[in-house]
Amino acid sequence: MFELATALGSVVPVLQNGGAGGPAIGATAAAALAVGLAALGAGIAERGIGAAAMGAIAENEDLFGRGLILTVLPETLVILALVVVFLTL
Amino acid sequence: MSVKTDGSSNYEYVTARVRSRRAKLFDGDDYRKLVRMGPGEIARFMEETEYETEMNALGARHSGVDLVEYALSENLAKHFDDLLRWSEGPLYGYIANYLRKFDAWNVKTVLRGVYTDADREEVRDDLVRTGEFSDRFLDRLLDAGSIEAVTDLLENTIFGEPLAGAFSEYEAEDLLVPLENAIDRAFYTHLMDDIGTQEPDSPKALYKDFLQAEIDFRNVRNALRIARSGADIDPAAYFMDGGRLFGVEGIRQLASNTDELVARIRESTYGDDLADALDDLEDADSLIEFEHALDTALLEYSQTLSSRYPLSVCPVFSYVLSKEREIENVRAIARGREAGLSVEEIETELIQ
Repeated sequence: MFELATALGSVVPVLQNGGAGGPAIGATAAAALAVGLAALGAGIAERGIGAAAMGAIAENEDLFGRGLILTVLPETLVILALVVVFLTL
Repeated sequence: MSVKTDGSSNYEYVTARVRSRRAKLFDGDDYRKLVRMGPGEIARFMEETEYETEMNALGARHSGVDLVEYALSENLAKHFDDLLRWSEGPLYGYIANYLRKFDAWNVKTVLRGVYTDADREEVRDDLVRTGEFSDRFLDRLLDAGSIEAVTDLLENTIFGEPLAGAFSEYEAEDLLVPLENAIDRAFYTHLMDDIGTQEPDSPKALYKDFLQAEIDFRNVRNALRIARSGADIDPAAYFMDGGRLFGVEGIRQLASNTDELVARIRESTYGDDLADALDDLEDADSLIEFEHALDTALLEYSQTLSSRYPLSVCPVFSYVLSKEREIENVRAIARGREAGLSVEEIETELIQ
């Protein structure tokens, strides 16, 4: 615990001086990060929905269309995140 | 002895499939039609439903009520094996443990067959080929000529120890009851293996909730049967541990008093979910009606649990229960029609 505290104590000043007071990453890089995280979230959401949709389709093939729509609904998250990219450009 | 698995559960996939299959079960309308049909018509009706494959496969070899029965039990085994095929991770473990119910059923069937010197083929027809035991193992059980040989074969299963313990009692009294009791007990004890106390609403806790409900209802039924039969048997001897409604002492007192028993269930955690079924329970005069009301109550509770916790093991167990009921209902209808019972009489036998 204490060793960690001293280690952090020696790292923090270096990090703070490195950027000369500015943000650690640029605006475009932050927007890219936002898209990436949104895509990750969408992926996690689609995992469950996709599994359930496959189950339903396996039992009744007519549900294919509905299953597909429900599965890709979380993609809207990524599209909304893309807006952030255009705002920063 | 419980099944151990790695990885995570695929609740979404399994519950979606189970719900779809559940929707295909016979509903009230189908039953109303079925009770007015003869055995041949029932067989034809089933050909157009879920049971098509089985009916076609068995249609050439059997006919009438036998055909219906064989198709029902094949279909049951198929669906429950499917559950095991789909599920992964801890969910597989829960389902596998629960489906040992059919292992218990099979062992009991074999024991009864040996005890009554029944024909090997007849016993084989009565087995439900799902659960943990493989087909080969079941065949070996069938080939065992004596009760002792059967218990020897079961030595390494969950039934081994309890059966060995009950064997001396069987030898002394020459009654199957101690052995059957030991099998039931082994099944219910192992269901709750290393579950412990869990955080509420976690998957394990829900699994436990469901099983506790089932054990509670079984205890109620056993107590009632003993009380109504008037036999001088201690209800505690048939008491299953693990429920949350009664202790050994409680069941002894309540067994003789139906009103108090209903009041007790009403006050318990099941009360809110079971209001309707409990009213039926109070009105029921005969033991059979009471037992049916109990079955309905358990079904209802399992459905409540499964809609309250959609992504859990509850919908799966609830499906297993409903499917079992459907099989029993169709069998009752087919046998009832064959025996010439009236429509009303058969309708009282149905559990929905």
